[in-house]
Amino acid sequence: MSDVILKVKGLTKKYGDVEVVKGISFEVKRGEIFGILGPNGAGKTTTLEMIETLRTIDGGSATIDGINVAEEPYKIRGMIGVQPQSPGFQDKTKLSELILMFSAAYGERVDPKKFLDEVNLGDRADSYVEDLSGGQKQRFSIVAALVHNPKVFFLDEPTTGLDPQARRNLWDLVEEVKKRGISVIMTTHYMDEAEVLCDRIAIMDAGNIIALDTPQKLIKDLLARGFKKSQRVEQANLEDVFIDLTGKAGLKD
Amino acid sequence: MNIFWIIVAIAVVGRIIWRITGKKRGADSSSAKPKKPLSPLQKKFFTIWVFFIINMRRLFRDRLALFFTFLFPLIFLFVFGSLSHSNSVSLKVAIINESHSSYARQFVNQAEHQKTLKVDSTVNNYKTANEKMGRGELDATIELPPSFGAIKNKLPSGQAIVHYTENNAQAAQTLVSVLQANFQRINTKLIKSPTPFTVTSKENNERSLSTFDYTFTGLLGFAILGAGVFGPMNVFPELKKMGILRRLHTTPLRVWQYFVANMMGNAVTGLMSVAAMFVAAILVFNLKVVGNYFELAIFLAFGIVMILGIGLALGGWAKNERQVAPLGNIIVFPMMFLTGVFFPRYLMPNWLQGVTNYMPLTPVIDGARLIATEGKSIFDLGPQLGVMAIWLVIVYAIAFRVFRWE
Repeated sequence: MSDVILKVKGLTKKYGDVEVVKGISFEVKRGEIFGILGPNGAGKTTTLEMIETLRTIDGGSATIDGINVAEEPYKIRGMIGVQPQSPGFQDKTKLSELILMFSAAYGERVDPKKFLDEVNLGDRADSYVEDLSGGQKQRFSIVAALVHNPKVFFLDEPTTGLDPQARRNLWDLVEEVKKRGISVIMTTHYMDEAEVLCDRIAIMDAGNIIALDTPQKLIKDLLARGFKKSQRVEQANLEDVFIDLTGKAGLKD
Repeated sequence: MNIFWIIVAIAVVGRIIWRITGKKRGADSSSAKPKKPLSPLQKKFFTIWVFFIINMRRLFRDRLALFFTFLFPLIFLFVFGSLSHSNSVSLKVAIINESHSSYARQFVNQAEHQKTLKVDSTVNNYKTANEKMGRGELDATIELPPSFGAIKNKLPSGQAIVHYTENNAQAAQTLVSVLQANFQRINTKLIKSPTPFTVTSKENNERSLSTFDYTFTGLLGFAILGAGVFGPMNVFPELKKMGILRRLHTTPLRVWQYFVANMMGNAVTGLMSVAAMFVAAILVFNLKVVGNYFELAIFLAFGIVMILGIGLALGGWAKNERQVAPLGNIIVFPMMFLTGVFFPRYLMPNWLQGVTNYMPLTPVIDGARLIATEGKSIFDLGPQLGVMAIWLVIVYAIAFRVFRWE
């Protein structure tokens, strides 16, 4: 078994004459958390959506565990879990029913309680999604994407709009997913998040990957180029104050 | 025979409701006991079944959806049913009596009790009479001049004058005939004379269709159109806006599976709504169903699924509500007015009937009437089923082609 789970080669996406993803190549190792960073419009989401089979690939290829994404999209969909940018679930449907629906979409039947317990939502099994808090919704969305035990898990800006506690909860959850042996590919705008979570990151700009390495290596390289922050770094920042005052909360709601 | 099929239908519906409402049973518990693994094809239908069951549960939690599915068609049924139920032809007239004779009083009295006339007693001068005729509230005005009922040559005599506007020439003509017949009866009483030619009417024993039969099957069409087209037209863009379909798109769920789950849901709710309309029509409006209920259900289920294809094509194609509204209206409104939903098609000129024969909803409404009130078998409905089958292929071919998950 190769230790590469995702192999991307010369991946290209065009809208008309405009190339929004310009032939990028990278590999994701089995069991790692891989981050894709970059400003809005850099092509992060488009790249993810091509690998997720949601958009046609205009050039190059992507293979997950040796299976070509463009050739066998339905097989790929059964192997991946996707947490879109803004998770939407139909209203007036119980969490347990949504879990049943998602597993049914993969042709599986599961015990919803088991999955909901994993993200501390066991007691909300009979609630509707619209009655959940933002953090609960994110947790639910993640577990809903894992009902079929995927090999790769994609998260598109999972913590945008969450409060600091919910963000930290989510980080713990992503670490949990990694521990289960699932490779994670995520995009984010938060550098602290990438630094804490990601084993390796790719930085995209204008459709190209301009850097790819571990966060530590990228920082070291920058310092080696003689970069100096003008301000002295404090031992704590405002977020630490906030978390200290309001409590880290674990999985509290 | 019919009773047998009714029992079968109740058993099937009861079983489905039991599955939908059952809390500890059904899909929840199926996971608890280990079952043998499903074959790939079984898995595909298992997916459809779970989507169908959970979406049905969801519908029964949604008060607004329940209102539009079940109550809304019933309200239409009661409104249009009571309008068409007062079936007799009557002329709306005013009588302006300027005579003081007892004959004139008698004439007015009789007219008020005559079935064919509806006398508006609030009108007593020409000004209001003319205004009301101008607005079409009155068909004609009968004037009894001062000389009406005066004794001439030992016999009472008089001439009533029928006033009308140009739009009401036909009604006035009818009114003149009615009055002439009335006077004829009086005349023969006054002057005994032989009447060589007479005419009399006799009711035929064969059952004929009433206006209500047309109204009712038209409203069935309205309910089917509402659930099959307006439903998905509104719901799908909403599901896209909330990213729900996008999320499903990341799973191996196929479009056809999603469509079939929707078709099953729509067929079941549609048949329930139609059944409620039948019950109301039979109890309240004395609808006589002579056909086979089972064949009727099969036929209507087919019609519901075919019409749903139009809604799936529209809703599946549209990115948002704004995009779908104009196209939806262009498709829905002609069907509402030309296929017999609100007006029976026999009122249309022949060329228009010829064209509207081939609209998707026409064979559904005609077929439902042919089975329910004319006692035809589903096997007699070749032309209707043929048109419906062609539309089924067309609308679903389009629906699959234009469907977008986001």
